[in-house]
Amino acid sequence: MSAVAQEPLPASSSIAIEGVTKVFGSSAGDITALAEINFEIAPREFVSIVGPSGCGKSTLLRCIGGLIAVSGGSIRIAGELVTGPDPRIGYVFQKPVLLPWRTVKNNVLLPFEVSGRPTDADNVKADQVIEMVGLADYLHNRPEELSGGMQQRVSVARALVTEPSILLMDEPFGALDAQTRDTMNGELLRIWSESRTTVVFVTHDIGEAVFLSDRIMVMSARPGRVHDVIDVDIERPRTFANIEADERFWALRRRIREELS
Amino acid sequence: MADLRRSRNTDLWIGRLLFVGSFAVLVLIWHIWASGNSPLISPTPVDVLDRLISYVGEGRANQHIRITLQEIALGFAAGAVIGIGLGTLAAEFDIARRVIMPYVIITQALPKFALAPILVIWFGFGQEPKIIIAALIAFFPLLENTYLGLTSTPAEMIELFRALRASRWTTLIKGRVPHAVPALFSGLRVALMLALVGAVVAEYVGANKGLGAQIIVAQGTLDTELMYVAFVLLTILGLALDKLHGLVFRLVMRRLYGRVGATGTGQQPRVSV
Repeated sequence: MSAVAQEPLPASSSIAIEGVTKVFGSSAGDITALAEINFEIAPREFVSIVGPSGCGKSTLLRCIGGLIAVSGGSIRIAGELVTGPDPRIGYVFQKPVLLPWRTVKNNVLLPFEVSGRPTDADNVKADQVIEMVGLADYLHNRPEELSGGMQQRVSVARALVTEPSILLMDEPFGALDAQTRDTMNGELLRIWSESRTTVVFVTHDIGEAVFLSDRIMVMSARPGRVHDVIDVDIERPRTFANIEADERFWALRRRIREELS
Repeated sequence: MADLRRSRNTDLWIGRLLFVGSFAVLVLIWHIWASGNSPLISPTPVDVLDRLISYVGEGRANQHIRITLQEIALGFAAGAVIGIGLGTLAAEFDIARRVIMPYVIITQALPKFALAPILVIWFGFGQEPKIIIAALIAFFPLLENTYLGLTSTPAEMIELFRALRASRWTTLIKGRVPHAVPALFSGLRVALMLALVGAVVAEYVGANKGLGAQIIVAQGTLDTELMYVAFVLLTILGLALDKLHGLVFRLVMRRLYGRVGATGTGQQPRVSV
C-alpha cells in the first residue's frame, strides 16, 4: 500500500455541466430525462447524486462519461467539451462487468490492452491497484471464484488502473449486502484519499451519500432536475463509528429524506 | 457435501449400468429376431461382427473410410468457414445481416439433398458433390450459433468496451468472440454430424467409393451383411468425430477459463436441428 502512496498523485479534473437536457425518443412520444441541469464539480471533489428511481441520475452520469450524447447544453471536463468516452475517466458500473474468462489480473489489465500491449509499468500498476483494493491474493483467480463484493473491488481496480482524473460510479455497491457495502464505502474513501481523483457517485442510499461526499446533488424526477445541492460539513477522515455518533450525519439524512418525499 | 458427491457418483454408475444393460437387451432382441429370419432381411449381430472383422482386417474398409472421412472433413471445414464468416458479418453489420439472412432462409428451405443429382452432372462421381452437400448442410447451424453467440454478449460488456474506447475489432476479439465460444462449439458439434450425414447421403446418389457408396453397392448385390457393416463403421466414425470435438472443446475451454466447467458456460447448450 505504501508503494501506491509514493506514486505521484494523478491530476484531478473539474466537471462543468451547463444547461444539460436529455430527451429520449420513444414510440409513445419524447421523454425528457434531464431538464436544464447546471452543476460545477471541483477537482478532487467527491460528489454524490441521489434521487428517486427514474430521476435521470444514471443518465446524467452516462452523459458525463460520454457514453450517451446530451440533447442540449454542454459538459466540459477540465474545460474540454465531452464528445465521447474519455480516457481520463474511470467508470464503475452497477454490475462488476468482469470478463468471466479472464483472471483478476487480466481483467484489470484490460484498459491497457485496448490501446496496445500492456507494458511492464502497466503490469506493476495493475498489481498495485489490485493490492490497493485488497485482492493481492486473488491475482490469478477468475471472477466466478470471487464474492460479489470482491468482484466489484476488481471493477474498481480496473477503473483506477489508468489513474483517471475522474471516477464515475453508478450505484456500484447497490447489489451488495449492507455489511459488505459499509466495508466497501470505507475502502472507497481510503482509496479516494490515496488517489484523490474527482468522484461522481450515483446512489439511492442517502446514508451512503452523506458518509462519502463533500456535496450531494439531490435530484427530482420527471423530468430530472437539480432539486437541491447540500454541503456535507463533516470533517475527514470519516469512519462509520464516528459518523454514526455524529448528530450532523443524522440531521443531513433527515433533511435529504424529507426533500425526496 | 460428501452425501451429495456420493449420490452423484452412484447415479453415474446406475446410469452406466442401465445403459449397458438395455443395450445388451436390444442386441439380444436383434439376435433372436434375425435368427428366425432370412439373412437377406437381417444378419445376426454375430454375423455382422464376423464380417466386420474380416472386412476391416483385410484392409478393404480403409479406402472407403478414408474417402468418406475426407468428404466430411473438407465439407465441414468449408461449412465452418462459410458459417462462422457469414455469422460474424451478420452479427457485426446490420446491412450484412439484412443481405445474408434471406439467402440463408432460401438455402434452408431448399432440400439440399435434392441438389445431389445436378451436382453429379456438374462435377461427376468424384468427391466434389459430396463435399459441397456436406458444406451446404453444415454451415447453417454454425451461422446461426455464431450469430446468436456473438449477439448475446451482455449489453453492459459492450458498454464497458465502449467506455474504454475499444475499437470494434478489439470488442469483437476480446469480448464477443470469447463470449461466443460455447455457442460456437455447440454449432460445430451439430455441423460435424450434419457433414457426416451430407457426405453419406450424397454418396448414395452417385459414387463408387466411400461408405455410403458401399451401402448402395451392397444393396444392389443383396449383401445385407455388408450394409450392416457400413452402418456400424459410420456409427463408429460419428462417435469418434464427436469425441474429437469434445476434446478440442475442453482444450479451448481450459485455455480460456483455466479449467472446464469453471462457469455455467462450460456446459454446452444443445442445439436441435
